[in-house]
Amino acid sequence: MTRIRIFLSLAAVLWATLLYAQREPFRRNPPSPEPLQQLKLPPIETAVLSNRLSVSVVYRDDIPFISLQLVVFAGMSFSPERSPGMAIFAAQMLGRGSLIHSASEFQEIVDSVGGTFSVSVNPDYVLVSFHFLEEYLDQALQMVGEMLLQSNFSEREIASARLRVTYDLSEKDKDPEFVGQRHLNRLLFDHHPYAKGSFTREAIRTWNLKDLQDFFGRTYRPNNAHMILTGSLNLRTAVRKVSTYLNLWQPQEISANLVPLAFAPEKPRLCLVDVPQTQESVIYMGTSYPLPGIPEYFDLKVLNQVLGGTLNSRLFMNLRESKAFAKFAFSETAVWAAGGAFIIRANVRPEVAAASIQEIKKEIEGMASLSSEEIEQAKAYLIGHFPLEIESFEDFSLKIADIKARGAGDESWDTYYERVSLVNAERAVAAAKKYLFRPFLIVVAGDKNRLADQLAEIDSIEVFDNKGQFLTTVNRKGAADEARGMRPEFQRRPRQK
Amino acid sequence: MIGLAPAAQDQNGASLSLSHYKLKNGLEVILSEDFSFPVVSVAVAYNAGSIHESPGKTGLAYLMEDLMFRGSANVPPRQHNNYIWRKGGELNASASEDRTLFYETVPSNQLGLVLWLESDRMKSLELTERAFEDARNSLLEDLPLRRLTIPYHDSFLAFDQLLFFDFSRAHSLLGTEDDIRNLTFEEAKNFYATYYVPNNAVLCLAGSFDRQRARDLIARYFETIPSRGNGFHPALQPPPSPPKKERIVKTLVDDLASAPAFHLGFRLSPPSSDEFYALRLIDYILFRGRSSRLTRRLENIRSPLLSPASGDIEIRGNQAVYKIFATVNTPAMAEQCQSAIFSELEKLKIAYMSESELRRFKNLFKKDYLWRISSTRERAIFLAESYLTMDHFDDLPLELQRYLAVTPREIVTLLNRYFKTENSIIVNVWTK
Repeated sequence: MTRIRIFLSLAAVLWATLLYAQREPFRRNPPSPEPLQQLKLPPIETAVLSNRLSVSVVYRDDIPFISLQLVVFAGMSFSPERSPGMAIFAAQMLGRGSLIHSASEFQEIVDSVGGTFSVSVNPDYVLVSFHFLEEYLDQALQMVGEMLLQSNFSEREIASARLRVTYDLSEKDKDPEFVGQRHLNRLLFDHHPYAKGSFTREAIRTWNLKDLQDFFGRTYRPNNAHMILTGSLNLRTAVRKVSTYLNLWQPQEISANLVPLAFAPEKPRLCLVDVPQTQESVIYMGTSYPLPGIPEYFDLKVLNQVLGGTLNSRLFMNLRESKAFAKFAFSETAVWAAGGAFIIRANVRPEVAAASIQEIKKEIEGMASLSSEEIEQAKAYLIGHFPLEIESFEDFSLKIADIKARGAGDESWDTYYERVSLVNAERAVAAAKKYLFRPFLIVVAGDKNRLADQLAEIDSIEVFDNKGQFLTTVNRKGAADEARGMRPEFQRRPRQK
Repeated sequence: MIGLAPAAQDQNGASLSLSHYKLKNGLEVILSEDFSFPVVSVAVAYNAGSIHESPGKTGLAYLMEDLMFRGSANVPPRQHNNYIWRKGGELNASASEDRTLFYETVPSNQLGLVLWLESDRMKSLELTERAFEDARNSLLEDLPLRRLTIPYHDSFLAFDQLLFFDFSRAHSLLGTEDDIRNLTFEEAKNFYATYYVPNNAVLCLAGSFDRQRARDLIARYFETIPSRGNGFHPALQPPPSPPKKERIVKTLVDDLASAPAFHLGFRLSPPSSDEFYALRLIDYILFRGRSSRLTRRLENIRSPLLSPASGDIEIRGNQAVYKIFATVNTPAMAEQCQSAIFSELEKLKIAYMSESELRRFKNLFKKDYLWRISSTRERAIFLAESYLTMDHFDDLPLELQRYLAVTPREIVTLLNRYFKTENSIIVNVWTK
């Protein structure tokens, strides 16, 4: 009798639960998405001033800021041969004083206009970013004009900047991520001007006022720059205001030195950069290629999304979520004026560095077979994420600067969805065959005592110190035995008594 | 539905559409439409932080933030993130002393998905013993690692103990290893049942959405989640501690520190006090921007290679404090810096600041304030947090003006009231 009562009670509970669930069936599954809203982007209007400075304006009035982005084509690759890093040094010196204001007074001006001021450098160009409250457009332009036209670098400021760069470099030399990436760039861009992005302490010591002034005078010219203003202003106002403060900026012919990137490396190469006693190990894998055509660029973008673009991509899911090898594992496509590169980076546990490389290789090989479903998922991500990439005021203005700096054409702004939509599995696989199924340069940065043995299982390794100086070569384990026709593992087997 | 208070106002040139209302179960809903981009952000903030923990139960609030990602009735464990990522969205969460916040940004056509996910974990989190053990073990692994690898770690905790004084505000958000080891599954369930309820939360939508459609979706997913009842009052705190009348100086030795350092703090008025507008401005005058008074003053003493000294107001419940932290080259330099700080404060106390200098700091403040509404994500978080911290949320449109109306006289008055030697707490940290 008791059993029957328990059974009836349980049945009643179950029935009540089911009834409740049925009352709210919408909770069981995620709702279907509503139709995708169109992304309507404002037009980019451009004019060229009499001194050949290009000025673009994008109207945006939802927030009372103006963003000033100045692109100067004086990136790392423009450093003189004998002064690698000079482009970075020159960019750092911007805002460190003029004939009228000291560095500290410039800081006061930035604060006074409710501003944030920063300078960044990439292989092709320098980007000066200045956001400020909209009522201070005149003061902001006056300051930028002074920096460009009346720069006055004191020996004190130069010494201070050199000290800072030297200190930063010595700190970064302990960081496997920085050391690994620097080494990859050095070797991947060997003999190409892009290799001038990395420099040594010796190079810093050679930086001087005269070279700085020469570099500045040679590259910081209006005909070598593009200013983009975003905010509540029109092109006419922008041209008038910019002309007021920058019309004395004189153009000068600039010799173009763009050397196209080639497919590199020609054969696989495995390098170990020793960062003594670090607990981390970072893998960088890279392959460079000539500038892809626009359709291929989007094919690569989708391909990258599948392989390692985000936390949901194959590399992350395999190396971190499935194998627990890695803190992170991502891939990225980089495109510069001279070409592009496909780069994979993973921060892995040192004891599984070699196994991680093998897994990454397998994942690259896996790009030979891509399902339509996976491609559609990747496209859905890229289309869904695009408006998120540009919705903040800062990201929005940076994106426009990037478009203008790359000369991508205003249409790239509006055709993003369409171009991503056109990619299919066939095209993505074709892009993989052309750009990914090539030799990769592999750089592992970490403690060599923990890494050398296991990496030698994969291939011969070139060992460098953390400043990039070559130390030695370690042959692949068993290579000599293989040459004699013996299986490598035979030698490692313990002797039988 | 209690009511709708639409309010479109002008934040010194920034348009901020804003309306808010309460569901029958007590969930506060804030809507802020912005059609600039087809994007929407959702923030759900619970009035649940470490100040709501009892002695011996520390770490519970932090643990609960993790547990919220480990599955609910209709969302498998760890799938919350995947649902968002697959659509190109972004998400994150943060726990603090006062509250725990969850937020997502997605293409606007996925608003329903986010509301489905957030309502599912508010209504029916799948709290299993296994999930609880996993989350607890992960925190127990993390805590000693932090202590053994992060320089100055213990000194920050010791400084908080002196500055905040009472248990609820002074203890660490991450809890202690002993407490976490002794936490039970039942205690986690009780914490969820007590604090993760609609009448202890605020839901904020910012971005591109149709208002009526959003209200319908919110009603569908959230209205039937039961509230905790009318007498529910989770956040009972002791009254804020008044300014001190005795200077405290302590010295610690940190094995991990590569350079000596010091903490210097002052107890301030409660955050809802009218004094707070001027106190925020004082923060800018002292440490914000490159041209702020103490930044400049300490730059002349400290090596340019040391990381910059910092100062900030910190609020825990109804207690606010001002905290300064700086690394130095030698203990003597620490003393020199502390003297310089007090000397600069004295200068500020005896003469009114010029209008132009004060305007500089107000402009910096205005920039930071407006920056917080310059993307849908920042805006959703800003509105949700403002609702939890402000006594009168409807006054939000007037907030910026109140900050910008602060006078030099108010600055001098409050510096004299709070930034006094006898209300200061110093913790020196020496290297081994």
